[in-house]
Amino acid sequence: MKRRLFVAGSLTALAGCSPIGTALNNTPGFEKFLGSAGNLDHALIGTRGMAREYKESDIDPVFRVNGLATPTTAMYRHIVADKYASYRLIVDGAVERRGAFTLGHLQHLMQRTQITRHDCVEGWSVIGKWTGVPLGDLLDIVKPKPEARYVVFYCMDSDDQGTPYYESLDLHEARHPQTLLALQLNGKPIDPDHGAPVRLRIPTQLGYKSAKWVRRIEVVASMGTIYGGGGGYWEDQGYDWYAGI
Amino acid sequence: MKRDVYRYPIVTRLAHWLWVLAFLVLVSSGLQIFNAAPYLDASDKSNPARRVLSIDSPAEGVGTTTIFGRTLTTTGWLGWTSDGMGSETARGFPGWITIPAYQDLASGRRWHFFFAWLATLCWIAWLISSAIKGNLRKILLRPRDLRDLWPMQAYYLKLRKEPPAYDTYNPLQKAAYTAILFVITPLVVLTGLALSPGIDAFAQPLTAVFGGRQFARTWHFAGMIVLIAFFVVHTFQVATQGVVNQMRSMITGWYRPGAHETEGKA
Repeated sequence: MKRRLFVAGSLTALAGCSPIGTALNNTPGFEKFLGSAGNLDHALIGTRGMAREYKESDIDPVFRVNGLATPTTAMYRHIVADKYASYRLIVDGAVERRGAFTLGHLQHLMQRTQITRHDCVEGWSVIGKWTGVPLGDLLDIVKPKPEARYVVFYCMDSDDQGTPYYESLDLHEARHPQTLLALQLNGKPIDPDHGAPVRLRIPTQLGYKSAKWVRRIEVVASMGTIYGGGGGYWEDQGYDWYAGI
Repeated sequence: MKRDVYRYPIVTRLAHWLWVLAFLVLVSSGLQIFNAAPYLDASDKSNPARRVLSIDSPAEGVGTTTIFGRTLTTTGWLGWTSDGMGSETARGFPGWITIPAYQDLASGRRWHFFFAWLATLCWIAWLISSAIKGNLRKILLRPRDLRDLWPMQAYYLKLRKEPPAYDTYNPLQKAAYTAILFVITPLVVLTGLALSPGIDAFAQPLTAVFGGRQFARTWHFAGMIVLIAFFVVHTFQVATQGVVNQMRSMITGWYRPGAHETEGKA
């Protein structure tokens, strides 16, 4: 009898886990409490070392496309149609020298090529070869001011509700040697589906940090007033800002 | 009547119950995370040619599970299941077993990482406290216990009247606890860490040793299956070996030797 009660009790505990967890999850403040572990991840794991770099033979023939759809705005169609001649990457904010870089200008800066794995938050991964400008080199040109802490990337894509994509890194992550403003994928200029003409590639963090279709980079002291304040499109929807885990 | 013995110190009891909680949450939130990419590959990057498990919905209202190349129809359980909001949809594991019940990867990750820390810190605290108190040697399987493994199993199978002589835990218990606490649990933690790009960057050999990121994800899932199997057998054992005495001792610390022989027979 006791035995049966115990087994029944154990099964109830198992079955109760999902509804109790769901109810707690919908309780305001509770997610924030759970999310506090994210600070521990950032402090303990952070951005150190170098992401693994692969051989040419490891490259996947098809680099999976995910995330928001390729922009269809008139502005984006226009810059694709004129082969990115009118594209300017604006770099501003807390910097000594604001800049507006053409694609040609970016192509003439020192390029770095790396074959790295793209790890999606969903759990899959794909390997590609990326060529572009180390973000640290670009920051050296614009010279962040002493109060600068974060680098925010504004993109040309937006969701069904018109909420634009954006992302951010801290200066340490931004200056990591493998953090690139990528211009090429697998030896060819990036195509529109993969973020043309300029996208971020940061192999030390999950894929959603690697913002596509970047149009402006702003160096800031705080991100609190930018869009939802979370430091990114997915971050504003509950994903961790530190995506190294 | 034998005297009660103080078997479980407070740290062990606290760790035990926090592990129960963490285990339930980690499985449910882990399945939530799994559902975002309901397949497992034995390779570094995603590779359908090396897929060992895949849960799919090939058509509306149909769920299938393909394991090592063999496809089974699992409609209602895997592939086409409850969406956690009163309806059914194309989904890996059903809503009644995930946290949250509905599809929400961001929340699943928060639950998972919070309780992963809790379980790991509990493990470290328990290990230190047990080592200081000298309790570890009661639980660790030693070479001289090996020869008593079969006699103990034979006793459980009623092939033998008396169990072999042992102190606190019998050799089978030692084998199970040693495997779970010192082999499987550390492997599950390490394979989980190996999934993180930030950790892979400074500990590349860790990911490599498990065969790469996707393979680590597969091992992480396999480790969960072993822990679930332990959980089921452990619960069954507690239920059959004097449940009142067992439960009371893990709450108060006091254990009554031989109680399971009399309990329920009075």
